[in-house]
Amino acid sequence: MDMEALLLSLKLALWTLALILPFGVWVAHSLQGMGKGRSWIEAALALPLVLPPTVLGYYLLVGLGGKTLFGIPLVFSFTGILIASLIVNLPFAIQPIQRAFESIHPEIREAAQVSGLSQWQIFRFIELPLAWRGITSAAVLTFAHTLGEFGVILMVGGAIPGETKTVSIAIYDKVQSFDSAGAGVLSLILLGTSLVAIAISYGVFTRHPSQTREWRG
Amino acid sequence: MLKIQLSQSTPNPLQIALECVSGELHALVGPSGSGKTTALRTIAGLNNAQAGKIECDGKLWFEASEINGITTALTPADRSCGFLFQQYALFPHLSALDNVCIPLYNSVAGLAERKAQAQQWLNRMGIGELADRMPNQLSGGQQQRVALARALARSPKILLLDEPFSAIDAPTRQGLYKTLAELRKDLNIPILLVTHDLREADLLADRITVIDQGVGLQTAPPQVLFERPRNSRVAELVGISNKFEGVFSAGKLTWDNCSQVFKVLDKGKIPPNTPVAWVIPAEGISLHSAPSETSIEAQVEHISALGQIAVIQLRTAEGSHVISWEASAAEVKRLSLEIGKKSYVEIDGDKIHIMPLRPINDPRRFSS
Repeated sequence: MDMEALLLSLKLALWTLALILPFGVWVAHSLQGMGKGRSWIEAALALPLVLPPTVLGYYLLVGLGGKTLFGIPLVFSFTGILIASLIVNLPFAIQPIQRAFESIHPEIREAAQVSGLSQWQIFRFIELPLAWRGITSAAVLTFAHTLGEFGVILMVGGAIPGETKTVSIAIYDKVQSFDSAGAGVLSLILLGTSLVAIAISYGVFTRHPSQTREWRG
Repeated sequence: MLKIQLSQSTPNPLQIALECVSGELHALVGPSGSGKTTALRTIAGLNNAQAGKIECDGKLWFEASEINGITTALTPADRSCGFLFQQYALFPHLSALDNVCIPLYNSVAGLAERKAQAQQWLNRMGIGELADRMPNQLSGGQQQRVALARALARSPKILLLDEPFSAIDAPTRQGLYKTLAELRKDLNIPILLVTHDLREADLLADRITVIDQGVGLQTAPPQVLFERPRNSRVAELVGISNKFEGVFSAGKLTWDNCSQVFKVLDKGKIPPNTPVAWVIPAEGISLHSAPSETSIEAQVEHISALGQIAVIQLRTAEGSHVISWEASAAEVKRLSLEIGKKSYVEIDGDKIHIMPLRPINDPRRFSS
């Protein structure tokens, strides 16, 4: 089994999560109540869903090629595939959180306003806990999607072992070299991970909705 | 004391001015879409009017004019309003106790102290034992009591109630009326109640403002409103059944399509030969089996028995007007009333209240 590729995929997924979740929460929250221009922003954020990965990968390759960040090259490096992963995952991270914020009834926010809470306090004590399931969904979808991402990663990162060769690319390599057993094991791991992730996002492991955490505000 | 004066033309027209003193329960009554909730939300700071002024205890909360735009607009958080929503709007992820803790967050230091105060409010509402329940584990009436505790926990300067009893069943509503009546005595703050239910307003309010299409038509104590509506529309909105039209001239009211003339007090406000609307309260009507000089001949058209009370509809022989008369079952028996029976209606001219056909500020008010 290609542990190196597995660990690299895990590292990429965790970094992606750590960076994209706060950004996703901020964007999804900011999109609420935005008037003109909201549809354009939403369309732009959803673009990675419909764009062929090779097309996105091509643009990233052209855009990032020859550039560095703190001396680290942005193509054929871990930083490069992280940037690609962040862009590819935007719709998976933002849309569930956005839907969760939208599902909060406006009167709930108004009740918080007339209760004397500031905008930040409303976000922290009311909106964030109520959007928690959407944020969990966004996290598991992003995690699973990062583990399985192939086209864009291959275009931007190639297949450098320990640097850019993720599980999906390792599976492709093994199939190319007729290592069916190796590809099968890695595929099974991805299948299991994806299944668990989707189950979490569908709420299979969550407790009864009425059982929520105690407020410590 | 709360003083408001609001004016706007869009999105919902609003033209309303009222004052509510400490300890007063003031009801805003009107049909759906009349602008009463908009007015309440504007006071709370959830909406802004195009022009007007809101003052509470001498502090300016909101000021705007058509020319200068909004010059002062405190945020809802800074206005110190207790607001009770129609659908409770409890925070679904928090227990009853934590819901009441929320408004105390910025004013009471320490979680333990906040919880103690919140528990006291729940006790006061009679639901202290439900403190740990989540909102979805509470009945409608219990949720509204939690919402009331939350609205009052901040010790607000005014209490705003937006149709608070409309989603609650009748027996529970009676209990909440009692709680509100008891709270009024202790709170001593202005309370504004929005409702479409006139009986509720009559039962609870010291004064009522009738709103229609965003315009405050009349502010008066309930009794005055029912006896002396300012105009025909108010009479219609407060559900006065005996409302007719006629022509008023120098103390004499001629009933439309009828030779009947009533002597009515002339305050000198209405020009001669003016078409007017007039109402007569129930106590101004009496029914007799024999005619007199001033009685009007009528035929019983319909009798609706409602327990010990019966509502009798009579159609006058002249003019074909329909008069509605409420009587006890004993009175109906005494007069041997039955459908088709000829009776004689006596209308007391001193009890007649005449009014313009249209609102005071409407230039067409004296034309029909």
